[in-house]
Amino acid sequence: LLCGPGLRRSGAGLLVTKCGLLRHRPGGGGAYWVDSQQKRYVPVKGDHVIGIVTAKAGDVFRLDVGGSEPASLSYLAFEGATKRNRPNVQVGDLIYGQFVVANKDMEPEMVCIDSSGKSSGMGIIGQDGFLFKVSLGLIRKLLAPKCEIIQELSQLYPFELVLGMNGRIWVKAKTVQQTLIIVNILEACEYMTAEQRKQALAKLSGN
Amino acid sequence: RLPLSPCVAGERLCSTEEATAGSGTYTRHGFIFSSLAGCLERKNEDNELPVVSVVRDSESQLLPSVGAVVTCKVCSINSRFAKVHILYVGSTPLKSTFRGTIRKEDIRATEKDKVEVYKSFRPSDIVLAKVISLGDAQSNYLLSTAENELGVVVARSEAGVQMVPISWCEMQCPRTHTKEFRKVARVQPQFLQT
Repeated sequence: LLCGPGLRRSGAGLLVTKCGLLRHRPGGGGAYWVDSQQKRYVPVKGDHVIGIVTAKAGDVFRLDVGGSEPASLSYLAFEGATKRNRPNVQVGDLIYGQFVVANKDMEPEMVCIDSSGKSSGMGIIGQDGFLFKVSLGLIRKLLAPKCEIIQELSQLYPFELVLGMNGRIWVKAKTVQQTLIIVNILEACEYMTAEQRKQALAKLSGN
Repeated sequence: RLPLSPCVAGERLCSTEEATAGSGTYTRHGFIFSSLAGCLERKNEDNELPVVSVVRDSESQLLPSVGAVVTCKVCSINSRFAKVHILYVGSTPLKSTFRGTIRKEDIRATEKDKVEVYKSFRPSDIVLAKVISLGDAQSNYLLSTAENELGVVVARSEAGVQMVPISWCEMQCPRTHTKEFRKVARVQPQFLQT
């Protein structure tokens, strides 16, 4: 029996540590976990997040990831970075990276390369675009494979999208107006049903 | 022993022909000077000259010396070192705690590059360590746990229960049965109390 997030073993029984819906998966001995809604992000090792550069301290950048502590990112943790070839990162830039160290006792550390040394989509996010914050549950829904929201939106306008597990989304479309429309729809998707969303999109594509 | 008399730092006590310098004093130009502000103590030895020393309180503060085994509590960890508060020197408790640092390369004797501080110590662990240096200008003692008998002796799990050691690198919580990594000390049997 697998004890997932939100549950903890205590003696012979299980204790619930988060409020939410209890879910069960019957395959392979059964797994139980608690689905909870949360807005505050807690850094977890392996999560891909969007961070904002707040300071440069020697060889290390300090990033705000929305957790309790700023994360550190070494300048060598980019693809093709050497001591002479430093990445061009300024204060205020957006970085998409993953955590290598993230626990409650130490400050989190991020890198922009994966285990084989390739960047695989991580690194500095380009100019323009719009960054906004949503709840963590919506991010998990959007990251599910074959998400309907993303498919329907892509039929509306072409756009670039970066989803960070810390609740941050970056969007860039051809014009500022299109970008803002996509931002508003994504923010409203939190509380709209599928029907309402299809109606809203039909109205927009009609215009 | 003659009655105690107060003295200040820098006071000239006597010449080296009359007595030998003890703790809290130093010799210059053939005379013994006091280096502390406290009470003068003169101990008469039978064969040799009497020993002159200056004591500050009734009990002198025991300072950790190089090579002493100390008991400390981890306050914070970092990817490069762990900061600790030194509580006991040997088996005597200290009145005021000193601060110490255990660097990542001093945690283990073997495989020093593969050590992870997070898998050896956590905040609020009680650790047996040895003093390797009196420290730098910030007066942080440098400690080492690079021996089998040194390392974590008492640790609490994430559930708050005291853990039981199962090997030199793992401890298990008796309530949630989760294993956590620590650099565990192999305490000598004569020091265990059952």
